[in-house]
Amino acid sequence: MEDKRKPPSAEETGGLKLCELGQEVVISAGSRVVSQGETPEFFYVIQSGRLRVFRETADGIQTNLTELGAGAYFGEVALVTGQPRSASVEALTEARLIKVSQVEFDRLLDQNPKLARHIINQLATWLVTGDSRLEKEVVHQVKLRQISWFDYALMIGLSIALGLVFNIYNDNKIPLIYGWGEKDNIPEISLQQAREDYQKNQAIFVDARKSAFYDQKHIKGTFFNLPLILTDMMYPMFQFTLEQTPGAKDKTIIVYGGSFSRRFDVELARFLKNKGLEKVAVLKDYSGWENAFPLEEKPPKEAASISLGLAGLLEWLPLSIFVLILIPPIRRSPYLSAACRLLLGVIFIAFALSKILRPAVFALNTVDYGMMPAWGVNLWALALPWAELVVGLFLVLGIRTRAAATLIGAMEVTFIIGLVWAILHHLPINCGCVGEVGEPVNWLKVLKNTGALVMTIQIFLYDRFFVLDRGGFILRDRKI
Amino acid sequence: MKINFLKLGTILGLIIFGLVLWGCGESRSPFAGTYRSVETFAGKNYVELDLKEDGKGTWTVAGKSTDFTWVVNDGKVWIYTKSGAILIATPTEGGKVLSLDMTGDWHPGCPPNACTTFKRVQTGG
Repeated sequence: MEDKRKPPSAEETGGLKLCELGQEVVISAGSRVVSQGETPEFFYVIQSGRLRVFRETADGIQTNLTELGAGAYFGEVALVTGQPRSASVEALTEARLIKVSQVEFDRLLDQNPKLARHIINQLATWLVTGDSRLEKEVVHQVKLRQISWFDYALMIGLSIALGLVFNIYNDNKIPLIYGWGEKDNIPEISLQQAREDYQKNQAIFVDARKSAFYDQKHIKGTFFNLPLILTDMMYPMFQFTLEQTPGAKDKTIIVYGGSFSRRFDVELARFLKNKGLEKVAVLKDYSGWENAFPLEEKPPKEAASISLGLAGLLEWLPLSIFVLILIPPIRRSPYLSAACRLLLGVIFIAFALSKILRPAVFALNTVDYGMMPAWGVNLWALALPWAELVVGLFLVLGIRTRAAATLIGAMEVTFIIGLVWAILHHLPINCGCVGEVGEPVNWLKVLKNTGALVMTIQIFLYDRFFVLDRGGFILRDRKI
Repeated sequence: MKINFLKLGTILGLIIFGLVLWGCGESRSPFAGTYRSVETFAGKNYVELDLKEDGKGTWTVAGKSTDFTWVVNDGKVWIYTKSGAILIATPTEGGKVLSLDMTGDWHPGCPPNACTTFKRVQTGG
């Protein structure tokens, strides 16, 4: 801001010359002349050099108020009001100042009404412009903190739209809902009937689940584990085993292994029917086999998993938030918010890119948890990676960051619930968080996600730098 | 403070480009070719695995073929089936032999009870 303050002329001071009253001092560059909050003692007039006037918060955030040059003056406000210094002044270059004591300054005012009027006029001008600045800043802050339903609608709508449109052109496209509209001509058999057939050895049982689930628990004497996802490749082996087992071809094939999230049993039964096998059935109560049949079980073991690479390394960083939030100035720092945004943004973008091209893989990962209803699995698998990409980009670019942080927080809560569910139920799965690879599901993974959740809360509360809000891009604090 | 949006956009573009490249995997050339299972699959037929350099592939057994896509990740061949399964093949002898984990559970190794070994019969694809 251009400085308009000029030193009072000899006429205004009633013939008294400031240089005759004060004492000349030389200040080296970088030295502080007055400090905010200290008791005022002197009034200063600048003869040469440049000085910076600024305010500073307890957190160390500085707001530049103005720069002063030769001919300007400062320090009169605290002398007039009798209050501690309202701002600090620091020399930007070597400066030569006239330092006038409180007594001399009071004498000047007493003897020179023109000078007094000049200073009152100056203070009044500051008050008016200060009010205007305050209003502008409040409006800006309000806009910055605003979250509207539009923000959420924008991000969620964009994610769903991108997911659905991309799926149309994706070589690895998936149906919106598995089995939707397919004629279901697979006979269902009651648990009691199936149990009788089992005891009389009149049926063979085929497990349609992934091999890890099968290994952990299956009906004792199951004929074959033919995971639905590998049927194309493994069917010849199944067919051969069927042909080589005496009497097997004449028995009813009872397919089991369906879940709340996907009816693997029905889909595999349909596949077998299409291959020409006539006597195929599924259990009416698809989840009841665990209580109705003798089981072969193995103690739960950690599922096979593969490192997430760079994204996995980055995922360790959210753990640092548990230390950082213990330090109050850092906890509230907008710079920490910016760092959290960058970190979460990059992690989410990387995770999203790994899932977008192959939604079927992510859909299967979702099914593994057994929490999502079957009709929602593919919609989730299509939309979530795009949601991760959109909110990740919004965080990095500083667009609608509070809303983006809320959505990431909601995702983290969902992931944490899923992980805890998987741990408590000893599911033989990995996290499925990065498309084709995955980390083990354990409490450390829960902690990492909790760290990310805390980061989203920090962003929500304190983010204000490097953001593109409705008032324009804010790199740091605004100069006033 | 004035922001150079061009520079900002360039940096972000490079970050995203890098992430995309990072997700593309390694060169497929060393493993492209036709492989045949060492032992018969399902007791009567050999399996042929055709890995084309453009990332497409075919699994053929008993005259029936199934298409898939494949990439190279961390020196291993990752086969993606249409149904979402992933099979990981570990190359040995400079890519002449592939040990394919048939569990579909992303084991880094090859479980003995679900491992199919292939030998390369023709390079390129």
